[in-house]
Amino acid sequence: MFGYILPDKPELKIKEYELYRAYYCGVCRAIKRRHGNIPRLTLTYDITFLALFLSALVEKQPDYQDFRCILHPMKRRKMVSSSEILDYAADMNVLLSWLNLRDKWQDEKSKAARAGMFVLRRAYERVKAEYPEKSRMINEKLGELARLEKDKCASIDQAAEPFARLMEELICHPLVCTDKKIEALLRRTGYHVGKWLYTLDALDDLEEDIKNKSYNPFVYEYNYQGGDIKEFRSSLLDDAEFLLIHTLSELARCFELLEFKRHKNIAGNIIYLGMQKKTEAVLGRRNCIERPVQGIGN
Amino acid sequence: MKDPYKVLEINRGASKEEIQKAYRRLVKKYHPDQYQNHPLQKLAEEKLAEVNKAYDILMKNGGASGGYSGSSGYSYGSENAFFEQVRIHINNGDLNRAEQMLNQTDKRTAEWFYLKGLIFQRKGWYAQARSHFQTAVNMEPGNAEYNSALNMMNYNNNMYRERSGGYGNRDMDDLCTICQCLICTDCCCECMGGDFITCC
Repeated sequence: MFGYILPDKPELKIKEYELYRAYYCGVCRAIKRRHGNIPRLTLTYDITFLALFLSALVEKQPDYQDFRCILHPMKRRKMVSSSEILDYAADMNVLLSWLNLRDKWQDEKSKAARAGMFVLRRAYERVKAEYPEKSRMINEKLGELARLEKDKCASIDQAAEPFARLMEELICHPLVCTDKKIEALLRRTGYHVGKWLYTLDALDDLEEDIKNKSYNPFVYEYNYQGGDIKEFRSSLLDDAEFLLIHTLSELARCFELLEFKRHKNIAGNIIYLGMQKKTEAVLGRRNCIERPVQGIGN
Repeated sequence: MKDPYKVLEINRGASKEEIQKAYRRLVKKYHPDQYQNHPLQKLAEEKLAEVNKAYDILMKNGGASGGYSGSSGYSYGSENAFFEQVRIHINNGDLNRAEQMLNQTDKRTAEWFYLKGLIFQRKGWYAQARSHFQTAVNMEPGNAEYNSALNMMNYNNNMYRERSGGYGNRDMDDLCTICQCLICTDCCCECMGGDFITCC
């Protein structure tokens, strides 16, 4: 995962920010309880979003508890107590981290990735055994992605498809998918989150990928034939911006139709502001959005 | 009646691809967007009509040299009935069937591009959807349906950006902005020898 899904902190109320952090800590603690201390290091914001988003949609009210974080031992903090959703998010975090390391090892023969795989091995096996169907599907999607990359797929839409489907799978938790209608809506939500993540990551890595001669869908879609990399990148920014914002606009439509039991404001902050801000940051040409909160606002 | 090959600026015996390529180039060239409120607007419209007519003749009748094979793979009575069927599949959510039908025909008309765009849009392939809508609009600039599909996509993006205001009024003027403006005005006035805010 990429860690792109963040709230826009300045626009959150303090209590909302604390709630967001309570989810982060809750997932972190869930990883520790289920898989030990070292896998905690792999926790990403994207998975925190997953935990918060799913918890916002289930009937059951989450419980909170005070705790002391090992990184900040002087402060007492709130965290979300363990729940089925948090455990699920924790497990998915481990699963995706391990698969990510595996891909790195296979593609780049990175020694660090190999070491990471070794450390996460047992946790991964445990998760795989617990969710055989999910892990099979996720593996299948990653396989499709690897094939498209190998074939130098020249369509950003097509290249993003497997990852979008992967997120679709990930967000479909049985506690939330209570009927067909909600499942369809939730799948659509996941699809657009995944599509946005993949596309944004491709854009973010564009210059580096060209330098390293790694696959990048934008290179093939816009037919890069040598020459100035910066110039090439700026020539496709309009299209990329359109695609990213359009994907977010469709995500926002799903968001508006979902029935939130709680945390709607934080989820909205992430979808409307956090993800938009991240998009602008990666596009890197508008800085007005980066300016700090102004004095007396709402 | 003008020679369609001359209108499209291609040689007799040009292949189907060449005809399409020439057609698209010319449509872009004479597109009304390029001539809005322009003295040559009327002329461009006439040119475009000519190009459309020439393209239709070459693609439908196969042209004098048989550059167009004429086989479409489907035996629907007319083009309309064929596209109507595709639309029904799309509306029923049967995107695979609709896509299959479109891929089997050689008719690359504006409607073809529009319907293909519609399928992409349903699938969430927005980059492809947009470029197909754009081609449909370029080929038939006056068509309200194609234009509205393209505009709708842009409109949604704007809606998203506007709605984000509901989660934090970033773009609204607030007290700070007003103070900044007042102080700047005062500074400017003082530069010019006057004074806007007398106390500072």
